[in-house]
Amino acid sequence: MTPLQICLLISSLLFAIGLAGALTRRNAIIVLMGIELMLNAGNLNFIAFWRFGPNPEALTGIMFVIFSIGIAAAEAAVGLALIIALYRHYKTTDLDQINSMKG
Amino acid sequence: MSSIDYLRLLQLAAPETFLTLTGLMVLAVDLIVGRGSAPGTRIILSGSVAATGCLLAAGGLFLLPVYGTFAAGMLVADPLTVLIKVSLVILTLFTVLLAFSDAAPLADPGEYFALLLFACVGMMFLTSAEDLLMVFLALEFTSLSLYILAAFNKQSPHSTEAGIKYFLFGSISAAFMLFGLSLVYGVTGSVQLPEVAAGLARAGNDPLALVALVMIAMGFGFKVAAVPFHLWAPDVYQGAPIPSAALIASGSKVASFFVFAKVVVIGFGGAPAAVGSGAAPVWVILLGIMAAVSMILGNLAALVQVSVRRLLAFSAIAHAGYMLLGILAGTEGFGPLVYYVITYGLATVGAFGVVSIVQARTGSDRLCDFAGFHRRFPVLAFCMLIFMLSLAGIPPLAGFFGKFYVFAAAVKAGSLALFILALATSTVSLFYYLQVLKQIYVGETADASHWEPVPITVSVALLAMAFGVTLLGCFPDLLLNRITIALRITGF
Repeated sequence: MTPLQICLLISSLLFAIGLAGALTRRNAIIVLMGIELMLNAGNLNFIAFWRFGPNPEALTGIMFVIFSIGIAAAEAAVGLALIIALYRHYKTTDLDQINSMKG
Repeated sequence: MSSIDYLRLLQLAAPETFLTLTGLMVLAVDLIVGRGSAPGTRIILSGSVAATGCLLAAGGLFLLPVYGTFAAGMLVADPLTVLIKVSLVILTLFTVLLAFSDAAPLADPGEYFALLLFACVGMMFLTSAEDLLMVFLALEFTSLSLYILAAFNKQSPHSTEAGIKYFLFGSISAAFMLFGLSLVYGVTGSVQLPEVAAGLARAGNDPLALVALVMIAMGFGFKVAAVPFHLWAPDVYQGAPIPSAALIASGSKVASFFVFAKVVVIGFGGAPAAVGSGAAPVWVILLGIMAAVSMILGNLAALVQVSVRRLLAFSAIAHAGYMLLGILAGTEGFGPLVYYVITYGLATVGAFGVVSIVQARTGSDRLCDFAGFHRRFPVLAFCMLIFMLSLAGIPPLAGFFGKFYVFAAAVKAGSLALFILALATSTVSLFYYLQVLKQIYVGETADASHWEPVPITVSVALLAMAFGVTLLGCFPDLLLNRITIALRITGF
């Protein structure tokens, strides 16, 4: 197995774990953690493709990762703020109980 | 790497820079001048600054456009993107004017208006991106602003719930998109759209490329609220403060559909054919299914809604289905799609404006709350008539021509089955739009209480939008010719 394949396997696994966490967990904070894992799986892919790709001297991959790490941080900040706002109203972060709107 | 010409960047991104500065100025004005004044005064103060900024930016874009490309497609300003940007700024302007209404008591009007402007800036960058990095960054910038806007009313549990749902669905789809983009980068070795197209054509039937396309389609499918990525839409449209919901329904949709079409038409143009299913590329099948299910589910679910905002949400899902037809038609459908999306945005913001008036006075947005609206505000009721009939696609309003051109492009592109489905579901949609109008015009109500008059800015905005929808319907060439010329110059 080439190093690229190993990296892709790990990142796919990371993505799957993140997705499973985001879909099955009921606690909003753990869902947020799952989402962060999924984002990082994407980052890992970029790094792997950049490092083992045909032209690593073009910095496209690593530039993408630096920006997307920034995005992930901003997303975590907004997400945690939303979760705090949620907690103030419902006194819980259990997503199953947040269903006041029905149609 | 060549050095960056910052002066050129400033020239090309002048409208975005100007709006960002306006946003910061709104914050400063609200903090310095508005501090300690009544909430109403603060809304008027910061809202007027924001509205003036939008007006100036739209005027500047319209009268003195600067064309060019920066850093190999990171920022592209051509006649087409400038046209879209003008419409985005105008939609934001109307949204700002709607926020003058007392529907959602804004605790921090400065922040609210600044976020509206920032979301608009994100959408503008999104339209001018021809580089997947910029597409992702701008998409996230827009989304993050919109998440906060959706949850802005901290007093309302509904608003918070709308925000958190929008955020969770949005970030999961953003993660899918990032993963898809990383695979595209892996397959093609580039993130610039033209090179991506060449790379995907070279890659042929690479399964990695297929996975990438599916994941990117998921990301965009969420943004445009197409089934099966629509689950957030009804709750967000119902729970978010009305101006936020209006921007999510209009501006965000315009920008997302434009960039979605650009990525699909330029980027996936040479995408691999589906395994064992003949000539149709995989994205055609994928988008075809999304379009069909959106049209069916959106229209049928809208039939049973009691809340008008939920009704508008399901109608938005249905419209996303029609718009996907435009994307499916490829280059042929690009112009009609742009026309459709812009006129749809205009009518939707208008409809939300009328809902905000009713909600501010009755406390809810159920269909029965609209009963007797005609007697109280005959002119605004007529505006709502125009918006609803335009959304339903009745000539001579803009919605009709949007649908007509998109459907015609779909037929030309050979998707006859989808065309018939669109036509049939479009007939169904007339029922629920008329349901709203029925309440407004002939609905019986015992409630004879006095309703406060509508703020002048809201009336003016609604009249302007109704006028725009009628004008673009009676003379569709006003907009369509511009789009066609812009498309020809851009080389689609």
